[in-house]
Amino acid sequence: MSTSTLPDESTLGVVLGRGRRRAEATRRVIREVAPRRASLGTGFIGVGAAVVVGLRAIYGFVWFLSQWNEYPDPLPALGAWVVLAGVLLATVITARVGGEQLPDWLFALFVGGLFTALVLDLWAIWPLHDIGRNATAAVTAGMALLVVVTLRRARDILIIDGVLGLTLAGAIVLNSSLAPEDLGPQITSLAFAVLPAAIGVVVVRGFRRLVQVELDRVLVQSTVQAPRFAVGMLASEELARLDLAAEELLEAIANGRTKLPLGPKTASSAASLATELRLHLIEGRRETWLYHAITESDFLGKSVTLVDKGSLAGLLDPQQRDGLLSTVWLLVSDTTKNHPTRTVQITVGPATGSVETPNGRRIDVPIVITTTGVPRNRVDPATWEAIRRVGQYADSTQNSSLRVDVHCLVANPADH
Amino acid sequence: MTSTMDLIAKERDRLLQRTARVYGLSFTVVSLLCLSIPGSIDGLAYALALPLYGLVGFAQARLGVSRSLVWVAVIVLGGLGIIALACLVGAGPGPSGVSGIAQLAAASIASVAIVLTTEVHRRVVLGAVFVLVAGTEVTLLAPHQSPLPTLALLVLGWTLSTVIGFWISAAVPQAARRIAQIGRAHRAERHASETEAQRRQGARLLHDTVLATLTLLAHSGVGVAPEALRQQAADDARLLRQLRLGATPTPQSSGEYNLETDDEAVLGTTLESVKQRFGRMGLEVSWHGTGQVLLPSHVLDAFLLALAECLENVRRHSGVTEAHVTITDDENTVRAMVTDAGVGFDIEDVDAARLGFKESVVGRLQEVGGKARLFSSKGSGTTVVLEVPR
Repeated sequence: MSTSTLPDESTLGVVLGRGRRRAEATRRVIREVAPRRASLGTGFIGVGAAVVVGLRAIYGFVWFLSQWNEYPDPLPALGAWVVLAGVLLATVITARVGGEQLPDWLFALFVGGLFTALVLDLWAIWPLHDIGRNATAAVTAGMALLVVVTLRRARDILIIDGVLGLTLAGAIVLNSSLAPEDLGPQITSLAFAVLPAAIGVVVVRGFRRLVQVELDRVLVQSTVQAPRFAVGMLASEELARLDLAAEELLEAIANGRTKLPLGPKTASSAASLATELRLHLIEGRRETWLYHAITESDFLGKSVTLVDKGSLAGLLDPQQRDGLLSTVWLLVSDTTKNHPTRTVQITVGPATGSVETPNGRRIDVPIVITTTGVPRNRVDPATWEAIRRVGQYADSTQNSSLRVDVHCLVANPADH
Repeated sequence: MTSTMDLIAKERDRLLQRTARVYGLSFTVVSLLCLSIPGSIDGLAYALALPLYGLVGFAQARLGVSRSLVWVAVIVLGGLGIIALACLVGAGPGPSGVSGIAQLAAASIASVAIVLTTEVHRRVVLGAVFVLVAGTEVTLLAPHQSPLPTLALLVLGWTLSTVIGFWISAAVPQAARRIAQIGRAHRAERHASETEAQRRQGARLLHDTVLATLTLLAHSGVGVAPEALRQQAADDARLLRQLRLGATPTPQSSGEYNLETDDEAVLGTTLESVKQRFGRMGLEVSWHGTGQVLLPSHVLDAFLLALAECLENVRRHSGVTEAHVTITDDENTVRAMVTDAGVGFDIEDVDAARLGFKESVVGRLQEVGGKARLFSSKGSGTTVVLEVPR
């Protein structure tokens, strides 16, 4: 039996590149939660935006009524307000009932309504030749986009906002006096029409980011309670899949559906099945909660590297883990666009010996946190408190970035 | 838990600050545009107002990253300074100047309200600031515009930014609560995943016989009677099905091994099945020494699995087709010596991990209190000594 022609069934082998693949797999879990992420809390923000638009509309409407006598024909302007009110009410109700979603055709209807209001209002004030001072429904129509700011993509909102603004600006240029004494009110009206929706987009984006970071953190936080050595989130699923594949293969052989001796293809699939199964059976013995936390997190995964040859991180108690995770989190999540280069490296161990404490003998596990792009004076003060929960620490600066040496005292697993 | 709340409060403040920054800066720019229109305010007032605009803009940028009330004060006082300059120097503001002042007071300065909603003392500051701004603007602008529209726009602007502040402050903890719920569900899920993986991983004996069968199949089942292999496959498939349905089955007797689940099991009969299995794969195993040794079943499992791994190594790497296993025992330990006369290797050269020695032999034995030693050199074969306690 010559081994060279046989498929490589690595009975005992160590497979490279497994960590990477696993990280991908576990990220999938987080991504599966993502659809829920989009609507988390933005519904509430949407209601707030509707309230803001409502207040603005009341102000605009009162202003319109106070100007009633100035209009050559106020009816088109009144029509604009009726259309605007109808569109706003319908949209708010649809969004509430329809589960925070606005299909394309409804959005098109909404935008059509806004433009109708804009045109009607412009029609009513056209003879006055001063859009800036007289536009009411037209300006509110721009701000009304806020009502759908949580329901549509930022791009949609910004495009419509831009088109509305250009329409209004074009009308002003065509119709109104641009003399110095009149220019100010024109600019003001244009700004009040266009800016709120754009600011709204920025705020909603910030809020979504916050939710995403928070969700990521909470999901990763569950590793704090994990046993010393843990399997990742998908381990059991993969193991179940492999078991099932093996069962099907064996079943097919047992009932004669697959003929013996096996063809090379089936033989090689049996070989790879055996290899994968073996790997999954020994899996989880080497990876600690910290490894899983970092690989499962979108945020930590990008900028944190872990060196833990002895898997000593597994010995940390939940409080120390929480402290360490918070520390890393605070160091990384402060990342604004200005510091894309922030990275954190955690080196755990090797253990240096044991120490006598009031709670019994403890092993001293040194943890070194080195960073890049984190100046000592830019560290969030809460970070120090988090590190203190891990153990006694000394901070210093290395390559003009923060370095922290922590002495983490852990219970000796041999004592249990 | 407190730290979680702190983190959320921090995130909330950050969002409020950024909102205030973008809101304030946008309208500061628009206001500056209005005041820059020729004739909107006195030339000297404009020259003096420009640095104040710079100051207000800088403070608004800082407000985006700092919680300090100092920046709020700078924005308010700087803004009021601009209004005072525009109204008091020269002939006072023209219509465009009035627009610029309105932008400043009702939107640009009002943006500070967004960050003044979170605590009681900040709300007090908010009230005071509003009264100060409204009083100053209405008074100073009175000669140029009637107070009612001025005040109406002010109230609107400050109300809007206050509502925005309160609304965001309320939305963040609400979202955080939902996220915490998801987190709890996720923790339960992780726990379940962990337990399930442990259950499956714990079914070691089952997986070892399945793996042995798969290994035979990987070699196309050559050298094994098809009928025996089919029988074996049927048994293993049945065990896997049981595992899938929630049981933790243990192979009682299979064509390969004969592993007892009793408290103590006899070594001899199982050794014979290991010998047969390797015989089918082309490695002749000769047994020497004690035939009948009683071992606790979990020790026996580990012992046999380690032994099988050693023989597998011989089959793969030694280049010979014969191996000798000598079993000896005394009152404390059972010892197996696996010897081959194959190519051998230099222990220094070969990474023990590559042979899986550490994981599958040493690791397994250590779990039951045993140990393993490896002796080899190039050209003179390999000997492995396995020991387990009785």
